[in-house]
Amino acid sequence: MSTPGETAGETVESAREMLPDNSFLIQYPHVSRVVRSLFLTAFVAFGIGAFMGVLQALHRTGIARIVASSDYYTLLTLHGVLLVIVFTIFFLAGVFTWANTRSLDRPPVSKRFTWFWVVTMSVGSAMAGIAILAGLIPSIGMSADVLFTFYAPLQAHPLFYIGLAVFIIGTWLAGIDWFRQYLAWRGENTGERIPLQSFMVLTTMLMWFIATMGVAVEVVVFLIPWSLGIVPAPNPLLTRTLFWFFGHPVVYFWLMPAYLLWYTVLPKIAGGRLFSDPLARVVFVLFLLLSTPVGIHHQYVDPGIAEGFKFIAMTNTMFLLLPSLLTAFTVVASIEHGARQRGGTGYFGWLKALPWRDPAFTGMTLAGLMFAAGGFSGMINAGMNINYLVHNTIWVPGHFHLTVGTAVALTFMAASYWLVPRITGRELYSRPIGLFQVVLWFVGMVFMSAAMHRGGLAGIPRRTAEPQYPQVTFETVAGSVGSLRLQLAFGGVLLFVSALLFLVNVGLTAMNNEPARGLDSALPPALSGPEQSPTVLDNLKLWALIAVVLVILAYSLPLYSIVQGAGLYPPGQEATPAVLAPLLEVIA
Amino acid sequence: MTATEAEAETDSAVVGEDVYADGTLVRDPEIEESLSQDEYDPKGTLALLLVYFLILGLMWTYMYFVEFLGNGPTVVG
Repeated sequence: MSTPGETAGETVESAREMLPDNSFLIQYPHVSRVVRSLFLTAFVAFGIGAFMGVLQALHRTGIARIVASSDYYTLLTLHGVLLVIVFTIFFLAGVFTWANTRSLDRPPVSKRFTWFWVVTMSVGSAMAGIAILAGLIPSIGMSADVLFTFYAPLQAHPLFYIGLAVFIIGTWLAGIDWFRQYLAWRGENTGERIPLQSFMVLTTMLMWFIATMGVAVEVVVFLIPWSLGIVPAPNPLLTRTLFWFFGHPVVYFWLMPAYLLWYTVLPKIAGGRLFSDPLARVVFVLFLLLSTPVGIHHQYVDPGIAEGFKFIAMTNTMFLLLPSLLTAFTVVASIEHGARQRGGTGYFGWLKALPWRDPAFTGMTLAGLMFAAGGFSGMINAGMNINYLVHNTIWVPGHFHLTVGTAVALTFMAASYWLVPRITGRELYSRPIGLFQVVLWFVGMVFMSAAMHRGGLAGIPRRTAEPQYPQVTFETVAGSVGSLRLQLAFGGVLLFVSALLFLVNVGLTAMNNEPARGLDSALPPALSGPEQSPTVLDNLKLWALIAVVLVILAYSLPLYSIVQGAGLYPPGQEATPAVLAPLLEVIA
Repeated sequence: MTATEAEAETDSAVVGEDVYADGTLVRDPEIEESLSQDEYDPKGTLALLLVYFLILGLMWTYMYFVEFLGNGPTVVG
C-alpha cells in the first residue's frame, strides 16, 4: 500500500503529518513507542505460545505426536508461561500505559524509568523462557518443566525462578510508574475525581501489589534458595498455598485490562456511552477487595487445609460473581445504548443495529459472550462439593480457555485492531481478515472448550501427554471419547490458524504506509457520570487497607496451620528433577 | 484529546463531537436519536440477562441430575 518511489521513512513521515493533532500518536509519540514495544513482546510470546498449544492439542489426542511425550511438559510449561505471563501481562502493560496517559492527559514522569521497567520485565521473561526451552536440549542440563503452576516438589533451574522474580519486580516498577503519573496529575487537579481509566489502572495495580506478595515469598524465600541447593526442599503444601495466594488474583490481573476495554472502548465503538461510571468504579473496587482472599479454592482437594478455611474461600469466591454480573449488566446496557442511538428497537431487535462488521466490536462482544459461558463452569469449579467431579480433569483447562483464553485473549486481539492504528498511525491492513479471524477464534474455542468440558465430565485428566489407558474406559454423557478428541484437535487447529491470521494482520498493519483515519482518542462521557457517586469510591488508601485486612483474615490461620503441621522444611522431601545436585557434588 | 472523563460533561450533546473507531465514519450521521440517561431504558439488556439466567439454571440442573445424582456419592467413608 506504499506509494511507489518513496522510501519507507519518507512515507511514514508524510503519513504522520496527515494525522489529526489530537491523535494519541501525535500527542504522545514517546508513550506510543513504549506501547508498541510492549505489544511487540506480547505478540511474539503469543505466536510461540499458540504454536505450543496446537502441538499439545494434536499430541494428547493422539493425532500427531511430533515430540516425545516426555517433552510434552516442556511445551506445556512454555505454552502456559508465555501466554498467561508474558502475552497477557505485556499487553496489559501496554494498555495501561496508553489508558493512564490518555485519561490523565499527561505522559509518565520519567522516560528513563519507564524504559527501565520495560527492560526489567523483558529480561525476566527471557531468563524464564530460556530456562524452559533448554529443557528440549538434554545436553544443556537445564530444565524448568514445572508448568505455569510452579511449586514444590517439582523443581526448575534457578534461572527460571530468578527470571520470574525479575519479571515481577518489573511489573511492580510499572505500577509505581503509573502511580507517579497519577500523583503528578493529582498535584495539579486537587479535588477532581480520578479519571475512570486511570482509576481502573490504579485499583488493578493495588490488587497486584497485594497478590504478588505470595509469589514473591514463595520464589525468593523458598524456591530460589532451594534450587540453588542452599536450603532443603520446602513444604509442598506451603509453596502451593503461597502460589495460589497469587495464582487466583492473577486471573483478574489478566481480566482487568479486558474489563477496562469493555467499559471504556467498547461503548464508544458501539456508538453509545458507558451506562454508569459509578458502577464501573464499584466493580474495580470489589475486585481489589475480593481477588486475593480466595486462592484456597484451588486447593479443595489438598489434605492439610481444614475444610472450614476452604469454605471461607468458597464464600469469598461466590461474592466475586457480583462484580462479574454487574459488569454483564453495565457493558451490555452500554452497548444497547449505542444500538438504540443507531435506531435499534425491540427487546432483541436492537442487536441488529450494532456494528458487527467491525472486528474490534465483534471480537470483544464474542469474548464477552464466552466469558458468560466461562462464568458457568467457574461456578462449578468454585463449589466445594461439585468441584470434586471435575478437579484435575480437562474440564479445568476447558474453563480457563473460555476466560483467559477467550474473554481476555480475544478481547486483546480485537482491541488491537482498534488500538494498534492509534499507536502506530497506520491504517489496519485488513478489516475483513480481522473480522474472519475473531469469528474463527470463537468457533475454534467452541469446539475445543466444549470437548474439554465434556471430556472432564468423563474423567479425562488434564496435564497429561497420553491420556489413553488400556485398563480405563472413559464414559461420556453423550458421544464417544474419540469424537471428543477430534473436536478438541480440530478446535485447536482453528485457534492456531486464527492466531496466525491475527499476527499477520497486525504485522502487515505495522508495515502499512497508509495513514490511519479517525484517530480521536476521546471517549464519550458516561450516561451516569462520576459526580453521581460518593467520593469515597476514589479513596484508594481505604480500599487497599480493607483488601489487606481481608487477606490477613483469609490466610493467616491457614498458613499458620500449615507451618505448624509439617514445618517449613519437612524431612524426606526430594526435589524433582535435582538439577544442581551433580554440580554441587563436583564442587564439594 | 479533548477532555478527560473527569472533566467531561454528561450532557448528551457531547457525543456529537466524537468519531467512530473504524476511522471512516463520523459518528453524527449514524446516530438517529441521541439518548440521555433519562430517555434510555435498557430493557434489551434485561431480556438478554434473563435468557442468560435461564441457561444457567438449565445447565445447573443438567449438572445436578446427570453428574451429581448419576454418579453416586463422590466422597466415600
